[in-house]
Amino acid sequence: MAARTAVKLVLPSDVRLVELAHAVAEKMGEAAGLDSGAALDLGLAVREAVINAIVHGNRKDPSQDVELTFTRGSRGIRIRVLDRGSGFDPDSLPDPTAPENVLRNSGRGLLLMRAFADEVRFRYREGRGMEITLVKSLGSPRRGIEAAEGRSEGVVRRT
Amino acid sequence: MKTAIRQSGDVAVVDLSGKITIGEGDVILRDRVHALLEEGKKRILLNLEKVSYMDSAGIGELVACYKRAREKGGTVKLLRPSGKVQDLLQLTKLEEVFETFDSENEALASF
Repeated sequence: MAARTAVKLVLPSDVRLVELAHAVAEKMGEAAGLDSGAALDLGLAVREAVINAIVHGNRKDPSQDVELTFTRGSRGIRIRVLDRGSGFDPDSLPDPTAPENVLRNSGRGLLLMRAFADEVRFRYREGRGMEITLVKSLGSPRRGIEAAEGRSEGVVRRT
Repeated sequence: MKTAIRQSGDVAVVDLSGKITIGEGDVILRDRVHALLEEGKKRILLNLEKVSYMDSAGIGELVACYKRAREKGGTVKLLRPSGKVQDLLQLTKLEEVFETFDSENEALASF
């Protein structure tokens, strides 16, 4: 794979397509040299961002798309997932591991994203939707966002 | 995801293989467990040895099955979660909810 590789997917809000987004992320990770466990983690993180976009952002409306941009930089892979929803405040969501929430049927997506990606950022893009940016470092963990931000696309800032 | 159900004494053992994920494995898990509960089989052991991973939808369905069994006076226990599945149970703190076993004989004896 070349040092700079970008793949873009635009998916209708159909949960059957979550598999496709996961597969692209995992394969891109493997091609970039991640071991199979780290590549699976990247796939799982993307899976959760896409589930969030389809189910909560676009409310499973198939006419509303989810836009994914996968970018490999020299030191990290960055994946942006953009829905058409009204956004949310990630800091206001209940902790799914708190005793009163542990038996809830939903609410674990952000926990899994944060566990399986090195960086997770959220931004509401006015008039467009919620954007989640996930970064997996190809080198030392937790430096991935800076590595991926070295690419030509704009920096995602938390608002 | 594929499932096979066998009866061991009064425990229904569900052998799962594949992944428990949105739109597929989660639906299959729900259907199998609901069918068992409808048949009056309230002691259910989910064998996760061949489950490679779950996503949040699959985890949510596992919790839903646990609660539904409990409402019906039954119980769901877990057998041999794999590496990634074990990681997920730990991360979500569900390992503190589910009784989990490495030995099938011990699991069967625990009901």
